[in-house]
Amino acid sequence: MAPDAFTLGGKAFASRLMTGTGKFTDFGVMREALAASGSQIVTVAIRRVELRAPGHDGLLDALDWDALQLLPNTAGCRTADEALRVARLARVATGVNWIKLEVIPDARYLLPDPVGTLRAAEALAADGFTVLPYVQADAVLARALEEAGCAAVMPLASPIGSGRGLRNPELLRTVLDGARVPIVVDAGLGVPSDAAQALELGADAVLVNTAIAEACDPVGMAHAFALGVQAGRAAFLAGRMPERAHASPSSPTSGVVRLPDPEVPL
Amino acid sequence: MTPTLTVNGEARPLTPGLTLHALLRDLNVNPSRVAVGVNDDVYPGARAPHRTLEAGDVIEIVRIIGGG
Repeated sequence: MAPDAFTLGGKAFASRLMTGTGKFTDFGVMREALAASGSQIVTVAIRRVELRAPGHDGLLDALDWDALQLLPNTAGCRTADEALRVARLARVATGVNWIKLEVIPDARYLLPDPVGTLRAAEALAADGFTVLPYVQADAVLARALEEAGCAAVMPLASPIGSGRGLRNPELLRTVLDGARVPIVVDAGLGVPSDAAQALELGADAVLVNTAIAEACDPVGMAHAFALGVQAGRAAFLAGRMPERAHASPSSPTSGVVRLPDPEVPL
Repeated sequence: MTPTLTVNGEARPLTPGLTLHALLRDLNVNPSRVAVGVNDDVYPGARAPHRTLEAGDVIEIVRIIGGG
């Protein structure tokens, strides 16, 4: 096991950067970007086959799934029942029992339904799934999801695809404080410094899709996110300095060259 | 009234005796890359059973695509 490995669902991972497969212009760019990211956990969506144009889009063949942990998601589901249905279809489609659980009734901000998510998480955990629920950064909900048997909790930083970064750091702190499962910040990260900030605060990992796929150079940005995650994790382990309200000189305050104080004019 | 199935959200006439296996073949779906739901049951496409479909059955045929 690599030093400081990240353990999720009983497996150890060297990378703390999880990635999505949406919005890439083509499989070639996606494959290169995911390789540059070093990501070992990669999420995919489930959709109906187009009956008028059958065939598959080749995603299962585009990546080396022997080297990656496939993480199907329930994106697009509006209710717990839809998510349960999609999770069970995903499990037989992929042979993988991991599920990124999304129950999202709201199309404008894509904000998750906490009640439906908890209900679906309980059912899926009881059914043998490794459940990673996508939620608001809510410490009470996170504890309830732990109790339900979730393998991780995935609080959002800001709305999906918004690139607005970590808008709720105080709430994220309360989720991280005392968490007994990995906390993976998912959604809204725009630049590597956002990922670094999440890891600095103590998040175990982040999941990034749009910020890589919609960068001018997705491969370059994937590499940059890998560095941001590494920097943030290293900083967390090193322990940050305390914050102060006022300045504290970095140079010694003794032996300073002084001129006589100016005379006060008459 | 003609008996129907719902397949991926669309009504479709049901031929008496049609099996799930035969439906996938009729739809020209590559079974190795899909999952199939019949009401509350789910099957890997490659192991779709010769289950006889009934009027009113709700069928979902899904695949993996890119997403976040």
